[in-house]
Amino acid sequence: MDGIHDLGGMEGFGPIEREADEPVFHHDWERRAFAHEFVIGANLDEGRHAIERLDPVTYLTTSYYERWHLSHEMLLIEKGVLTAEEIEARVAKLKREGG
Amino acid sequence: MAEYDADSLEALIVGGHRSLRPEAAATPRFKPGDRVRARNIHPLGHTRLPRYARGREGVITRIHGPHVFPDSNAMGRGEDPRILYSVRFEGRALWDAAAGPRDCLHLDLWEPYLEPVPDGAR
Repeated sequence: MDGIHDLGGMEGFGPIEREADEPVFHHDWERRAFAHEFVIGANLDEGRHAIERLDPVTYLTTSYYERWHLSHEMLLIEKGVLTAEEIEARVAKLKREGG
Repeated sequence: MAEYDADSLEALIVGGHRSLRPEAAATPRFKPGDRVRARNIHPLGHTRLPRYARGREGVITRIHGPHVFPDSNAMGRGEDPRILYSVRFEGRALWDAAAGPRDCLHLDLWEPYLEPVPDGAR
């Protein structure tokens, strides 16, 4: 698909940030997002295509592992493992409990 | 869907994803040195042919063998292994004068992305 992900040759995003001693993960939750990639029941190419199908504004305003996580939600819903309502209910519960 | 134990998962993470399927016997259509053009395709599904290369000409530099075809595998249509090539594009063929005169780019492209450029059609 001719989506927002196909950024090759586009300009105007500013300089690439270079971090000294860049860590593999910047937040603890990113470790989980990484692990989820191997257990959600989608192949590598399905995972990439799910990220391509994020809406363009979301794609450009989320971090690398946020996009992974959003693609996992999308695939779990599409494969019938979870519903959007179940995910929303879980998020609401964790917010209430400060989780 | 692959299943993992701790050892096989660590091997995957450390060693990387393997998409080579040597058992998928296929005769390559192109050989190193052949001039090819990336097709001007715009599929609704997944593809790993970047827009900036579509319609551009390059030269086959290497045959990687049969690899899982992402355009099929991403869409739930199976691995359908196809021959993967390394294709060299001159920088100026992609970016005109914005590229340095000696710049070049190698893209790994699957056979269905490519069409031959006949001699004399350059």
